[in-house]
Amino acid sequence: MWNDSNKYDRGVNTFSPEGRIFQIEYAFEAVKMAATAIGIRTEEGVILAVEKKLPSRLMDPTSVEKIMEIDYHVGCASSGIAGDAKTLADHARVETQQHKFSFNEPLKVEAVTQSIADLATHFGEGSEGMKDKPMSRPYGVSLLVAGCDEDGPQLFVTDPAGTYLKYKACAIGSAAEGAQAYIKESYKDDMTLKEAEKLSLQVLKNVMEEKIDQHNVEVASVEKETGKFRIYRTAEVNDIIDTLS
Amino acid sequence: MDFGNDLDFLDQPEFGEPDFFTKAPIELMGPTLGLDIHQNEADFEEADINEDIGEIKSEGFCFKLAPDECPSEFARSLKHLGPKLADFKHGTTTLAFEYQDGIIVAVDARATQGAFIASNKVRKVIEINEYLLGTMAGGAADCQFWERYLAMQCRIYELRNSEKISIAAASKILADICYSYRGYGLSMGTMVAGSDLKKGAQLFYVDNDATRVRGQLFSVGSGSPFAYGVLDTNYKWDLTTEEAIALGIRAISSATHKDSASGGVVRVYHVNNQGGWTKIHDQLDVNEDHYKFENSKGLRGDGKEGFGKLKL
Repeated sequence: MWNDSNKYDRGVNTFSPEGRIFQIEYAFEAVKMAATAIGIRTEEGVILAVEKKLPSRLMDPTSVEKIMEIDYHVGCASSGIAGDAKTLADHARVETQQHKFSFNEPLKVEAVTQSIADLATHFGEGSEGMKDKPMSRPYGVSLLVAGCDEDGPQLFVTDPAGTYLKYKACAIGSAAEGAQAYIKESYKDDMTLKEAEKLSLQVLKNVMEEKIDQHNVEVASVEKETGKFRIYRTAEVNDIIDTLS
Repeated sequence: MDFGNDLDFLDQPEFGEPDFFTKAPIELMGPTLGLDIHQNEADFEEADINEDIGEIKSEGFCFKLAPDECPSEFARSLKHLGPKLADFKHGTTTLAFEYQDGIIVAVDARATQGAFIASNKVRKVIEINEYLLGTMAGGAADCQFWERYLAMQCRIYELRNSEKISIAAASKILADICYSYRGYGLSMGTMVAGSDLKKGAQLFYVDNDATRVRGQLFSVGSGSPFAYGVLDTNYKWDLTTEEAIALGIRAISSATHKDSASGGVVRVYHVNNQGGWTKIHDQLDVNEDHYKFENSKGLRGDGKEGFGKLKL
């Protein structure tokens, strides 16, 4: 697979003869090494659940921000380089507010995702000499974007290449393959939000190395009824963990 | 093209062409504003603001300036060349005061163009967000646009910091914008009234010179001297909400009856100490209340109040 890689993999601007840009593919590896994140979409709303890989018990778990609110109706969970995730989420936040400023309406979930994916091709925005000049490398993060708009609850996944796809349920990160297999078994189109909450944490419990508790996972949801994106308090997460097998 | 300080540019054949005016990019205003808009390249290509200022890339909001090297000079020279052209009188009465249970904001609703009453239904209180109100005096567009922009900055602050912005910071954002545009002809005399859970309700006065002061009682506009008269006589910190609302209405009402540039209806808002505001009166007709006030003073308007009281 990496046959030609020693010749064509250094430059991010270089295609290999097979038509691959290795630097971008290597960026995907950054996501594959990172903590697992799961998103499940139901008719009632979307659930996001992430593993917080805490390197030591001396670290304050509340300082690890893997799930970020983008606007009242949309949020994202990240897997990959944390700094890149914050940059992309902040960009999305500014986009939603500027859209509201100009058009007096919330930005649609797909449009939010598109604005994030658009940054990937240029490694950023702006031009040389400005405060927001582009990076010299691809973003090393995948985001699960969960939101609710007039088209109902939606889940999108972005990647370092700038692609985004809509999913019913998806797992990204180190245990993505295993998690995806678990989800595929149990996912049903007519699941309730409560069932999705339980499934997402059950899957995380199965694939995580550490024992799951309310401090090393983070959960959020967008409910169709309220249309609001909400990050769960640790007590709520604890209640769900108590129901797991 | 050197225009100097005359108005001949209006006769130039290229007047009105998109490239005719120089563009003032919001980048010029420095990092304080932090705007990141990526607009359509076709409309806002990298434009230079004339060579004297140097190369500044233009992105996002672009405000066309008067075609002059020094816009503040241009603004001043207009006063001689065309006395009525850019005369923004603050024809209005707006007031706000803090008291024990929050802040009362009361405004009139009249817009005048010289002696012509353009509207009696203007909304001079701008609902910035659920916990901030801004009043409008001076240029309506300036107030509306920048207070809407302030709403955007407050929301971005909330998202980035996971907590609501303080009223002091919000009013500072607006004042800093005014400072950036000093001399460019902004006309705004506004009061920022808001409430947060840490400090309760707070009131700031911000104007186009970038003056920003915290205070307990302000009135802005051509009718403000009349409003101050009523307010200063009856104001106490310990007013009840009912009394405070009545005072606000009374002050605006008096001002509208003495100042021709104020009138229409009275709108009243109450900012509470718990991080929110409510609209108390959407449109209270001053004419109806005027006679009630007069009667309460013992005046019937028929000039016969003294009849039967003479002792001969």
